[in-house]
Amino acid sequence: MKQHFLRTLATFALAALTLATPAHAEDKPTVIRIAYPGAGTGGRPLGDTNFIASANYLSALEKEFKADGIKVQWTFFPGAGPAVNEQAANGLVDFAFHGDLPLIVGRSTGISHHIILGVSRFGPTYVVAPVDSQAKNIQDLKGKTLSTFKGTANQLVLDRVLEANGLTEKDFTILTQNADNQKASLATKTIDGTIISPWDLEARGIAKRVLTIPRDPKISSVSTFWVSTDFEKKYPQIVQRVVNALVKTAQWSADEANRDKLFHQWAQSGNTGYGDFVKNYQNYQLKEINNPLLDDYYRATLQKSVNEAKRYKLIRHDVSLDGWIEPKYLETALKEQHLEHYWDEYDANGNIKK
Amino acid sequence: MQLSKKHRKKLVVGASLLALAGTSHAAAPSTEELEKKIEALQAAVDSLKQQLQAQKTATAPTPAPAVVATAPAASAEGDVDPASQTATRQDIDGLRADLENYKYQQQHDHDTAQALTLRNTNINGTIQTRYAVDTPAVSGGAASPSSPRNSGFSIPLALVSFSGSLYKDYKEGRNLDYRLQLGYAQSSPPSANAYFNVQDAYLRYSPVPSGGDLENPIFNLTLGQQLLPFGLEIQTDESLRPVINNAQFLNGTGLGFRQIGLVARGDFSPNVDYSSNYRAPLFEYAIGVVNGSGPNVQDNNNNKGFVARATYTLPVDYTSWLRELKIGASYYQGGLSLLNGTTAVNPLGYDHFYGVDVYYNHFPFGATYEYVQARNKDAISGVGTPGVKGTSQTLTAFYTWGEQFLNSSKSQAKYDDYWPKSYQAFARWDQWNPNVDLSAAKSAKSTIATVGLNVFFAQTTKFQLNLNRYLYENAAVANPATKSDISELLAQFQFGF
Repeated sequence: MKQHFLRTLATFALAALTLATPAHAEDKPTVIRIAYPGAGTGGRPLGDTNFIASANYLSALEKEFKADGIKVQWTFFPGAGPAVNEQAANGLVDFAFHGDLPLIVGRSTGISHHIILGVSRFGPTYVVAPVDSQAKNIQDLKGKTLSTFKGTANQLVLDRVLEANGLTEKDFTILTQNADNQKASLATKTIDGTIISPWDLEARGIAKRVLTIPRDPKISSVSTFWVSTDFEKKYPQIVQRVVNALVKTAQWSADEANRDKLFHQWAQSGNTGYGDFVKNYQNYQLKEINNPLLDDYYRATLQKSVNEAKRYKLIRHDVSLDGWIEPKYLETALKEQHLEHYWDEYDANGNIKK
Repeated sequence: MQLSKKHRKKLVVGASLLALAGTSHAAAPSTEELEKKIEALQAAVDSLKQQLQAQKTATAPTPAPAVVATAPAASAEGDVDPASQTATRQDIDGLRADLENYKYQQQHDHDTAQALTLRNTNINGTIQTRYAVDTPAVSGGAASPSSPRNSGFSIPLALVSFSGSLYKDYKEGRNLDYRLQLGYAQSSPPSANAYFNVQDAYLRYSPVPSGGDLENPIFNLTLGQQLLPFGLEIQTDESLRPVINNAQFLNGTGLGFRQIGLVARGDFSPNVDYSSNYRAPLFEYAIGVVNGSGPNVQDNNNNKGFVARATYTLPVDYTSWLRELKIGASYYQGGLSLLNGTTAVNPLGYDHFYGVDVYYNHFPFGATYEYVQARNKDAISGVGTPGVKGTSQTLTAFYTWGEQFLNSSKSQAKYDDYWPKSYQAFARWDQWNPNVDLSAAKSAKSTIATVGLNVFFAQTTKFQLNLNRYLYENAAVANPATKSDISELLAQFQFGF
């Protein structure tokens, strides 16, 4: 009987080993796994406000790899940037879109990836309070409850806005909430303020603006598209094709002829209404906000975010930009598509380079 | 008032259209007149198209001041209001009709087709359906008269629970929560009847703000019937425990039975890694006082039971190899003289319990180890002999293929009923010796070696396969029914709602 038991145990162990053995490496992947930090209202797999979301709506990558039989797997995470980091830490992501703070915090804890594209930049910032709030400016909110989605780029934007007004997180009670909950909390007056697009909320009589920052390159942040170093090492030619397709989508998203289509497309996620996109970007060219360049502004802004994350004690380890940004795929894509001069390059202060 | 060039152009186009419309009421037009009208209309349409195109392509990136305090109603000149541009009376009427229909449907369903409670309530349940194969034949759990069986179907577990908030503090999270869990239990001695016993029945209050912020320490008080905060195995939820059967010491000592009392639980100095929203409290603690006489009965003496537990978790980032490495120690003092039907639990009268445990869970693999020592020191329960010492050791190791245990995977956005399909293989070694001082001839020491596979294929459902080997130091003492070691194969679906 004991022999029988040992035989059974050995069978189990063999089965486990078979399952654990990695598949043989191939010339091309069977699937490209793309992680997106965020989702549509109600947990729908949709994104908005950037050309990576547009690439999903337009099936840009699916079309690129259809002939090769490579599946493109998009995964949308309501847990935002931190959820993408959890996936990346467990080797479940090949490419990802990321806001600056989760990108930096992930890097600081050892996640290994290369930045291959800038995605979005600039745009307005609004501090919004419940409609009957007595606050006339952000100073009036001191000592009250603010909401942000901690660990995401929004937290860093909030910290910058506070610092520009001589305040810190310590001057407030800070709750962590996603955008859906922030809207609900403004309606129920559970929070006293948050950073969110205000127009739809104002039209519904829920909220009002306390502070408007139409354009400040020092407040708004840059977002990023990265590839895992493992995937890049195995399939550099696939990385190039992904970047080619995304640069093409970036150009489509930067074309003023597509402004209305783009905003309708982004509004499908339900997070931000069509009208909000129209108003938020009425004083911006699409080329400004949908810009894939890794120019001086991108680098300086990312470095600034690293410094701020350290100063606000959001990271415990140093992060260096050296060897982190890999521009060769972007440069090749721009050259092949004759787009070397399509987007303006910006200097470290967010001004167009002469 | 001087009109702008743009407005003058609009006026001219509008006047042309009006003029054209006005003439249509005169005498029947000739073919030539109709052609002219069509040409004029075409010209008007072309002009409108050009204006629209001009509006689309007009872009004016004007750098604005860095920070501007804004009055709520203030609106920059030239603001576009898409809502007022597109909505018509018909649109609004249509929307109103839809809204009225929706409101009616909601109210009708609310009145006729929805379960209602006075307070927010979550209803959950867990059911197990099992098939077991035993060699040699066993007879445990069967109603008399019976003969030993080699296989059989059973429903070993059926739970229904109700939980929610009696008071919800939206701002600071000082909630007053409740939980009631009813569990199916076979009658003892076994018969065709079964009981549905109260298992959990408690109130829980959080006196300090939690507010959903990961960095806030947790503290709560639980009053009522609940599991003892002792060790790992006792507190591990069915959905997390890889093994079908509980560790032997839970029944052997009586620690696995619920107790009625007051327990304070909390943690402090949480280490939060926001890269992955990983929260690891440096210290967790639980301290409480309970009757010690088991569930659903009054206290049977004046001696209360005191329980305490503390754990330490390494303060490392999510990506560290030492993530979720936790070391814990537990202590319980008090009489545990319990009856499970007519069967006495804790017949040796243990009244002091010590436990140490190690928990390590680094997806995709993990391991747990738990040591428990039970002693009869004071004969508080009035049974057994002082000086008796029992020990238990439980070691479990597991490996998972799939993303069942990753929060980000479980919560990903999908249109369909997605769940990360996962396979978990594990091995367990569980040894219980009720009295370590007895010789091999009298020893009731028993060891259960288990290998198994769990298949998670839907959100609340898993299939479990366990191969158990019961090994007795002296089978005649430890298992008088069969007087031999036992091999057992368990196949079980566990599903919940």
